[in-house]
Amino acid sequence: MKHKLLYLLVLAALLLSACGGASSTGTEASPAASGGEAVEAVEPPTTPAVVHIGWAGSPDSLNPGMAILVEAYTILELVYDSMYELNLDGSFTMTLAESVEVSDDGLVYTYKIRDGIKWHDGQPLTAEDISFTYNLYKDTPEYPYMNGYYTPYFESIEATENNEVILTLTEAIPNIESQLVFLYVLPKHIWEGVDKLEYENIEMVGSGPFMMTEYVQSEFIRLTANKEHFATPPKVDEVIFQTFENQDALVQAIKTGQLDMITEMPNTAVKSLKTAENVEVVVGSPLAPGVSDIIFNQTAEENCPKDEGGVCTGHPALRDRDVRLAMAHATDKQKLIDVVLLGLGSPGLTLIPDGLGVWYNDSIKDYEYDAAKANKILDDAGYLDTDSDGVRELPDGSRPLNFRLFWPSDSITAPRMAELLSEMWAEIGVTLEMQAVDPDALTAQCCPAFDFDMMLWGWGSDPDPSALLYVYTTEAIPTGSSETGYSNPAFDELYAQQQTTLDFEARKAIVWEMQKIVHDDVVYIIPYYEQATQAFRTDRFSGWLTGQAKVELSDVSSLVVIEPVK
Amino acid sequence: MNRTRTLLKKLAWSIFTILFVIVLNFFLFRVLPGDPARAGVRDPRLKKEAVEMLRVRFGLDKPVINCFESLNPIKLGSCTVNPLDTQFFIYVRNLLQGELGISYHTNRPVADILAERLWNTVLLIGAGQILSIMIGVVFGVFAAWKARTAIDYSAVITSLMAWSLPTFWLAILLLFWGSNNGLPLAGKATPGSSALPLLQQWADIGIHMILPTLTYTIIYMGEYTLIMRSSLMDVLSEDYILTAKAKGLSTFQILKDHALKNAMLPLVTVIAINLGFTVAGAIQIEAVFSWPGLGLAIFEAVGRRDFPVLQGAFVLIAIAVIFANFLADLTYNYLDPRVQTE
Repeated sequence: MKHKLLYLLVLAALLLSACGGASSTGTEASPAASGGEAVEAVEPPTTPAVVHIGWAGSPDSLNPGMAILVEAYTILELVYDSMYELNLDGSFTMTLAESVEVSDDGLVYTYKIRDGIKWHDGQPLTAEDISFTYNLYKDTPEYPYMNGYYTPYFESIEATENNEVILTLTEAIPNIESQLVFLYVLPKHIWEGVDKLEYENIEMVGSGPFMMTEYVQSEFIRLTANKEHFATPPKVDEVIFQTFENQDALVQAIKTGQLDMITEMPNTAVKSLKTAENVEVVVGSPLAPGVSDIIFNQTAEENCPKDEGGVCTGHPALRDRDVRLAMAHATDKQKLIDVVLLGLGSPGLTLIPDGLGVWYNDSIKDYEYDAAKANKILDDAGYLDTDSDGVRELPDGSRPLNFRLFWPSDSITAPRMAELLSEMWAEIGVTLEMQAVDPDALTAQCCPAFDFDMMLWGWGSDPDPSALLYVYTTEAIPTGSSETGYSNPAFDELYAQQQTTLDFEARKAIVWEMQKIVHDDVVYIIPYYEQATQAFRTDRFSGWLTGQAKVELSDVSSLVVIEPVK
Repeated sequence: MNRTRTLLKKLAWSIFTILFVIVLNFFLFRVLPGDPARAGVRDPRLKKEAVEMLRVRFGLDKPVINCFESLNPIKLGSCTVNPLDTQFFIYVRNLLQGELGISYHTNRPVADILAERLWNTVLLIGAGQILSIMIGVVFGVFAAWKARTAIDYSAVITSLMAWSLPTFWLAILLLFWGSNNGLPLAGKATPGSSALPLLQQWADIGIHMILPTLTYTIIYMGEYTLIMRSSLMDVLSEDYILTAKAKGLSTFQILKDHALKNAMLPLVTVIAINLGFTVAGAIQIEAVFSWPGLGLAIFEAVGRRDFPVLQGAFVLIAIAVIFANFLADLTYNYLDPRVQTE
């Protein structure tokens, strides 16, 4: 009796879930695509070339204003166009516009938009759409990134009758490309009628090389090729992004050929995948590189942001450059890379990673790993082990060099790194009290509270160096962006200067100088820059881009150039 | 009459428990440390205004409840604010209207997210439960009837092993096995299958269900076998079974008409408890096989500190557990009339 009841329940569930599945599907191919379909219908029917991509995440939102995750940006990048395209070597290509004129004072940009660009629904894409989009981003303070990040210098945006966009800035800036590159252009005819915050944008009418066909949140995304794209029409027919919560499953799926590409994998899997048949693994620095940092709390009474809740309980020794310098000399970065990342990283210098290409100052000579030298620095500075317990004390003997080291508990790499650091620094008479802390609690402890001695954390970077250089400024201390309390008027001056230096070489020189300053001051120890790994199968598609400066799936280059193996 | 009163009393208790859980659930997430509005977006160029906008959007700018501005860190506030303008009463009001808030992570209504996920979980766990109950009961009956024989011992050992296997470990093993046999490793359906005829869609879902259901069945089968076996062995030692044997009834008749019904009682308890937790999903199984169920939603929400989703999921699970226990009470009445009079 009961079994029968259960059976009915399950049957009902089956029915309901089937209906649910059907109703949650996205739009079918839009009417605009019918032109392409008609052409295809003439050709003999062949199996469409579908690229199966597995990834461990899924977009948080497809509304470009609300999206935060990199997975969302990957899809936005493929479905929309923006004024510029970021290339794998860090340079920019103009896409929607065919030319730009800049006024002499650097304030007015006039973009001539290409004629004949079409939205996926067949409507023409014009300067109207672009000015509408830029104004939307500019005037919506609730869009966390757009407003504070990419549009703060926008004075006004207008469209002319000649299909031109006139962008007027509040001040001349050197990096207009990186300000515009993530401002995806949206169709005015759709977005003017929707609630800009609540709109989920599942249908995603764009103009990019791929069209949204079906989206089931946190399961999969199907994109169909826009063979009529003005710049980069794909050679494949369809791309499917499928979410795998389990990275072992990802690796297994590409080994067995269920997937054609995976965008991430555990570092432990790289070795075995490299030997797998028909699979090629690419290792390189990611387009938006991540930086790991070892943070020293250097706040003191005088620069403690008390109004913002600063308590500044940092160990006084960490305000002394000699102590930080000695710790830097006692840090074996190569060992950290080999053990923590299994070799998949490069030694770090400052918050500006090598992945930023020209902005990365590769002329800086890092502090060599030399425990004897480190010991000597501490001896000379008066940090002696007065009570012979193996731990050095402050010069006045009051406190041992025993530091609290925190890291966010969701970090996979930090516990191993902490363990290694504790061994390395024990060599120079520095001990650690290590503790994993809930990330929210750590944010609250971090900044601007400065209630810690040291932390292991990290940053994601922007193509432009400005964002991460800001973290070192005095201005960033009360806002919670500065994690060290580092304050150097000379650096602040240079920061302001690079923001308004229009000449590329001059700006680069300033940015390089700034990295030199913070490296000299040992504001952080940057253990390494992590490398990204991707793998793809060579037996179904050929032409994958390898040997590039960067590894990045969201860059359309690979997906628009690969073609099916005959 | 008496029976109705007992039932009403039980129902009242269930409702009271649910209300208690709803209140507890709210404060649980308010005493957790940190500022959810900041956790998701920690970025050097994020303006203060943007953070404030996020707080307004998620209702975090309002006091938690009268007299308390926030609970972690504890910040006292005005006690004279309109109670309806505090987070607590807004939460209760929304809950009564079936609204569970907006996900911090996806900006979608939590109720929508949970509704999508709930059916996937019910489907997976439902299939797993049915299979494991069927196999468990059959094995248990066999083991009990052939007590202290080789059949019994092998059934007990197998069950004990199955029961004590770590779920995620078994799941990964099966995943490796399945990947070499062409079974899909992730998701509920093949992307694009929604264009297929309905029957093929179901078949597709069925294929995707094989590995997770198998894992679930193996894990729970052992538990049911052991309980069924011991409970049936108790019953079989009763005098009335001896009488039945003496009457010359066949083994099958004894089991079917005399022993099984009485032996089911403990099993029903366990099934009811398990069914309640069904809504929570087999978190580990769903995570390994990327099955888009409620368990996976919880798993993801924990990682992203998506409190509204967790809060909503907890309410749902609590209601399910309480409801399942209520159902179990009803079933006892049917299985064992003695329960009513107690």
